[in-house]
Amino acid sequence: MRYEAATLDYFALLKEGKTIALPESARTIRLAILADCATQQLGTFLKTLAARNGVRLEIYEGGYDAIDLDILNPASDLYAFDPAYVIVLMTEEKLKSRLYEAADRSAFAGDTIARIRGLWQAFAERSGATLIQSTFVLPTERAFGNYELKAADSVGAIVAEINHQLAVQSREAKNVLLADVDFLAAGIGRLQWRDPRMWNMAKIPCRLDHLPALAQSLLDVLLAASGLFTKCVVLDLDNTLWGGVIGDDGLDGIQLGEFDEGEAFVGLQKFAKELKRRGVILAVVSKNDHANAILPFAEHPYMVLREDDISVFVANWENKADNIRLIQKTLNIGFDSFVFLDDNPFERNIVRTYLPDVIVPELPEDPSLYIDAIARLNLFETASYSKADLSRADQYREEAQRELTKARYGSITDYLASLDMEIRLERFSSFNLPRIAQLIQRSNQFNLMTRRYGEAACEALMHAPDAVPFTLKLGDKFGDYGLISVIVLKHDGDDLAIDEYLMSCRVLQRGVENFAMNAIFSYAARIGAKRVTGRYIPTAKNAMVKNFFGTFGFEIEADEGTAGVRWALDVDRYEPREAIMTVAVNEI
Amino acid sequence: MTADAIKHQLTDIFRDVFNDPTLEITDEMTADDVDGWDSLTHINMILGVEQGFGIRFSIKDVRAMRNVGELVQAIAKKRAN
Repeated sequence: MRYEAATLDYFALLKEGKTIALPESARTIRLAILADCATQQLGTFLKTLAARNGVRLEIYEGGYDAIDLDILNPASDLYAFDPAYVIVLMTEEKLKSRLYEAADRSAFAGDTIARIRGLWQAFAERSGATLIQSTFVLPTERAFGNYELKAADSVGAIVAEINHQLAVQSREAKNVLLADVDFLAAGIGRLQWRDPRMWNMAKIPCRLDHLPALAQSLLDVLLAASGLFTKCVVLDLDNTLWGGVIGDDGLDGIQLGEFDEGEAFVGLQKFAKELKRRGVILAVVSKNDHANAILPFAEHPYMVLREDDISVFVANWENKADNIRLIQKTLNIGFDSFVFLDDNPFERNIVRTYLPDVIVPELPEDPSLYIDAIARLNLFETASYSKADLSRADQYREEAQRELTKARYGSITDYLASLDMEIRLERFSSFNLPRIAQLIQRSNQFNLMTRRYGEAACEALMHAPDAVPFTLKLGDKFGDYGLISVIVLKHDGDDLAIDEYLMSCRVLQRGVENFAMNAIFSYAARIGAKRVTGRYIPTAKNAMVKNFFGTFGFEIEADEGTAGVRWALDVDRYEPREAIMTVAVNEI
Repeated sequence: MTADAIKHQLTDIFRDVFNDPTLEITDEMTADDVDGWDSLTHINMILGVEQGFGIRFSIKDVRAMRNVGELVQAIAKKRAN
């Protein structure tokens, strides 16, 4: 398991760090750490924890307390290092020193936020990387006691205000994510978190034994931004979503209600519903007859989750690992983006054994403790949030209906024609940027180059004279898929280069790729390009598109190893492919 | 806890921290005598000793220790309190 708490032991992790063995092909991420505290141990732990996820971190550590220098100097080693991510770790100790020296306390929070915003902007102007900004741990000493927050110029009130403003400002800053170190410290207990001795002796920001947890928390943000996060929660029913066994106890016999265990189960359902609201897909896998399993969803007055909250509902007597495989096939997302919640240790072990990539948390016996057990593992990071998240569950439910329809048609062409697909090819717009950046982060399998452009980089593409960035949106008679593909073309001398190409796997085999390639070549012909070129950069997950260009008649021009395989095809040799869909908008 | 018992347990901690399974400690040993004993591993060593013996050093304790013998004495004193 990726997130087992016991494996965050300081010395065990140090030892593990000495024997990291990643394959040559492991994904490499360049990370800069800028901090006003010591970061050596943190860097070691980040590398070790990243290796557990198959990621090789290459780390640049900025000088001690040199955050501003590194960011503001365009010739700094930071920019020479060219990171994909930069962690900016600021401590409350340094903040307090500045505050105690400040002549005007009333301006301090505003000045601090202005300074940090200035750093974000300066960084965004010089780098397309994502900046991960820490929050400040609230001080434990309070000169005012409980009056602290009532006194606007107290240290506690000012630090709290700065944290609040960091959050507000980060909502507007496209290149910035937050690492909520104060939340982490508060969860452990701020007095337990702090070790003033270590600060005074070695400028270490917290107790040494909590450094691994700090590294894990920072890494969680980074991994989510790079595409590794939970997309689907698979829920068991009996004794997981309600108490008792529906098949034996009946509708009025299961525990679900306003007190005791019944209230605990309602609590878990509410949290699951919140996850669904923010875009996590919910699925059910239960050993039950379907009619029994569905009954509480339709009729129990205390059920929070209803049938339409569940994207895939599987109730049968098959092996749960096989059922999860089936769900994985329907949803087309990696096993490592699944979390499986089941009260039964036997079922948990089966899934762990057969599907080792699925995250299977241990659940305590008392359902009152389910939520905290899950919370400890921090399984639900995300690096984006957009309107598309609200309707994702509906989209996947529609997908399941399409699968059923598919079975009724003989030929694929008949089937595709029956869908009444409508496609929209639109240029990037500021309205779409959050969803574009999100799709770029989420797509792993159908992703030719895996460039992971952030929102700021996408915005820059909109204004680049040689770039043609566009998106595809698809709908059909069952519903709207929304924005499902991101493609960036670049004028490159006599060539038209495909610089970025990714697509949501949900829309595979519907002819969208054909439509897109036809559109690319007709654009190439229109601007007088001689060839269209593309590149396949292999990752651990994108083998499915290894020969993507080949299927359209491209030929390999050069194999450049980790930089990928270059493909090219003359514009006048391209044969348009079949795409059975109505074109509602075409902006290239 | 006797000085010998402390040294025995301390040897294991040193071997772990300095990543040398054959390391032997002596009273006169200082950071100069051990490969990889730098300011960073020093901090690790302090944590290892604190966890291993269930004690907490003060900054003064840490700064006063000049060799392993003095570390053993400091541990014995903390354990006695």
